[in-house]
Amino acid sequence: MSTHDLNEDGAVKHRHRQEGPQKHVIAFIFSIILTLIAFAAVAAGGVNTAFTVILLLVMAILQVLVQLGYWMHMKDKGHMIPILFMAGGFFVAGLAIIAALYWMWW
Amino acid sequence: MTTPHAQQVSDTLPHEPEKATLEGRNKVLGFWLFLGGEAVLFGTLFATFLTLRDQVADGPSAAELFSLPITAAATFILLVSSLTSVFAIQAMHRGNRKSLATWLGVTVVLGLAFLLLEIYEFYEYIVHDDYGMTTSAFSSAFYTLVGFHGAHVLFGILWISILIGQLMRKGLTVVTAPKIYVSAMYWHFIDVVWVFIFTVVYLLGKVV
Repeated sequence: MSTHDLNEDGAVKHRHRQEGPQKHVIAFIFSIILTLIAFAAVAAGGVNTAFTVILLLVMAILQVLVQLGYWMHMKDKGHMIPILFMAGGFFVAGLAIIAALYWMWW
Repeated sequence: MTTPHAQQVSDTLPHEPEKATLEGRNKVLGFWLFLGGEAVLFGTLFATFLTLRDQVADGPSAAELFSLPITAAATFILLVSSLTSVFAIQAMHRGNRKSLATWLGVTVVLGLAFLLLEIYEFYEYIVHDDYGMTTSAFSSAFYTLVGFHGAHVLFGILWISILIGQLMRKGLTVVTAPKIYVSAMYWHFIDVVWVFIFTVVYLLGKVV
């Protein structure tokens, strides 16, 4: 560990060492549960449409946060610039979707 | 540790070899910028799809066309492959080259399974349902969005396969580690995009 001097990443590295596969398996199980809820809500049918749509979107956003936060380590320290890049990308993507829908259908 | 072109195969590989060199750290940072750009690219495809999703012309609607079991299977395959790619990076952080190569191999196989399932799905639509790219605005937008994601999976499979070969030939070094790390980021991002696809295209297609 002392062979290199990544002082700004020191905290990340330290936390990393404690991080076993259990944490990722828990994130995986959480993702599976979110996916199951989403598919079950659609397969069951008959439920209020607006409620189902909101439920599906919430499940998707939670799962994306698990992927980005835990599996792509964005929750770790020293990830301000990646968060900026990704937030910028998602912002423009959202803008494109809203703009396209607005111009076509309103 | 400021040797930007560390070519030597080190016996004492640092714990996070992908961040051990400036070149490696820049590669990871640059890749985040690329992924931000990819988010915009898929955002425009989603914008097109959402705009045209009800323009089905004479063809079937999303609710009539899609089959949930195939989508569910594809989703679980890709989700598991994301986990195996996490295991690969953890093996890399332990400095275990064999375990790393094995988990990367499992990831590639799962990616192939996902791709075959998608090819089967498209084949069913095109051959049995006579539902092609030019059937309707909805079908064009659907094949473009989902096909573009499939192309990303194919690229990921080829990329990680080549990296496994390089890992075997050159070993796990501060040069090969950033490449592997970045490919794992790419693979997770493919799963992120798929979460939006199975939600917005397939599940919402069944609901509204």
